Amino acid sequence: MTITFRHLVPIPLKERFLQRSSGIWNTDTSFLPGEYIKIKAPSGTGKTTLVHTIYQLRNDYEGTVLFDDTPVRKLKGDELAAVRQQKISVIFQDLRLFANLTARENIELKRVLQEPYYPKEMIDTMAAELGITHILEQRAGVCSYGEQQRVAIIRALIQPFSWLIMDEPFSHLDNDNISKAASLIHRECAKRGAGLVITDLEHDSHFTYTKELNL
Amino acid sequence: MNGLNQLLKKLIRNGTGRKRFVMALLGLSVAMLLILAAVQIQADYNELLLSKSNQDSIANFLVLNRALTDQTIGATTLADSDINDLKKQPFVESVGTLTPSRFKASIQSNSDRFPFFTDIAFESVPDDFIDVTSKDWKWTETDAFVPIIAPNMFLDFYNFQFSFSQNLPQLTHSVVKMIVFKVNVYGPGGIISFNGRVVGFSDRVSSLLVPEEFMRWGNTHFGKNQDAKPSRVIIKTKDPGNPELAKYLQSKQLVTDTEKTRFSRYRQVVDIVVNISWLSGAVMLVFALLVFTLFIQLTIASSKEEIMLLITLGASPKQLRKFLMRQFFPVNLVIIIVALVIITILQFTIHNILKNQNIFIPALPSVYTFLTAFLVVTVIWWVNRATIGNYISSN
Repeated sequence: MTITFRHLVPIPLKERFLQRSSGIWNTDTSFLPGEYIKIKAPSGTGKTTLVHTIYQLRNDYEGTVLFDDTPVRKLKGDELAAVRQQKISVIFQDLRLFANLTARENIELKRVLQEPYYPKEMIDTMAAELGITHILEQRAGVCSYGEQQRVAIIRALIQPFSWLIMDEPFSHLDNDNISKAASLIHRECAKRGAGLVITDLEHDSHFTYTKELNL
Repeated sequence: MNGLNQLLKKLIRNGTGRKRFVMALLGLSVAMLLILAAVQIQADYNELLLSKSNQDSIANFLVLNRALTDQTIGATTLADSDINDLKKQPFVESVGTLTPSRFKASIQSNSDRFPFFTDIAFESVPDDFIDVTSKDWKWTETDAFVPIIAPNMFLDFYNFQFSFSQNLPQLTHSVVKMIVFKVNVYGPGGIISFNGRVVGFSDRVSSLLVPEEFMRWGNTHFGKNQDAKPSRVIIKTKDPGNPELAKYLQSKQLVTDTEKTRFSRYRQVVDIVVNISWLSGAVMLVFALLVFTLFIQLTIASSKEEIMLLITLGASPKQLRKFLMRQFFPVNLVIIIVALVIITILQFTIHNILKNQNIFIPALPSVYTFLTAFLVVTVIWWVNRATIGNYISSN
């Protein structure tokens, strides 16, 4: 699936964005299938806005975002849900776990929301790889932020997708854990032939990027 | 999908309004019972009125005439239009006119041992309306014998009053049928005498009946007023207790044997009871559905954040609707089934009690009761679905 942007400008940030050049805002660009895309930008330049726009959580923008030939804006209800279940997986900056479900239940929910891509046991395998086996039965609300971040990563990887969108996914992880997570993410993307989009404040070399854009 | 439902159940709790939920269910149960009971009562009632086993053959024939008041004295004849109008009524199956004799006649004993003489008048009615079968019930101009059907009432009057006062023997049906007497018809050219005999007794018409042919002959040759209109008609009706019939008779100032139509009074009372049962059931159903709807809304509203996040994560509105339907709808099915079971038990019990009193109603609830239950389930299903649909899509 190709993601295409045509003169995308978020309305709340319009004044500021029109005055400067950007790799995405107010220009034409595409994310081709299987690309690894790094979006680097300082705070307040709209990283999360971009992620939410692609994920169709917000609609307050001018211009167009296309999934192949379909304007994202037109996706509603069950259609949109199908895209979120099959095409696009996301790791939110604010994670968005259910505080009252255990870590395992949070992941399991995403696994069974559609026809499961992986068997149940995969949760344990991935959890072991990221070193969070011991908190799987804990309520997500009482886990540390770093642990929650890894739960959110596994939750994003348990479903089928052709794009993985990550909004500062490693902000609370140490380097050792980051490299474990990055290698798991790379493996899962490669397995699906999927592309990834990662936003961060700084330059990094977690993945071999095909494209680096500044917002 | 089972795993998903369990997780959803954990997220979307309906514990917030247990009490309200129970109240809503209670209301629904009572409403359901009332509505089904109303249908069943109506079905049983129709069964009682129309089924063969409960029918009383006498009651199906009514003799009608104009109410005789100061205003109608001498003007009690029924016009053709009146009779045609009567024929058109849905509760009337057929109409027969009663023809009175317009000639003078008397009957007289042939025997000295048992002498009697009395002036008499006859009536005739189409054979279809006669409840006596006798091979002697026929007459042609060459016959010297005239068959007569007498009302049972006459014989009762004789046997239980007249015979005592006059010191005469009591007479059974068969004895009366053996007595041959003289029937005299008075014409301008003198008296013509026939042999007469009672060939049967009837409860239907309270007058002495002769065959229509005899009446036609007598009225043609000796009658005074040739094209006289009838004053009385007999109608055949499926249901003499029909309140419509009673209303019609009253509006046309016609009277009949009130004993036979009195049932219509009770019918009206039962109709009112059934209607009240309907109405209160329907009102309760509406309120119960309202409470139930509010309960669904409350559950959705109190789990609003969870539902939003579920949708963000990719749960489809369809999945959520399905889940919520599964949460709320099955309990309605249980209620309906319980209500049907209660109705069935009641019906069976009442069936047994009434059987001992020779009143027959079916042992099982009617098809209509089940159809109504099905209909109500459909309505509830639809209301649930609409509520859930509205609230999920508005979130």
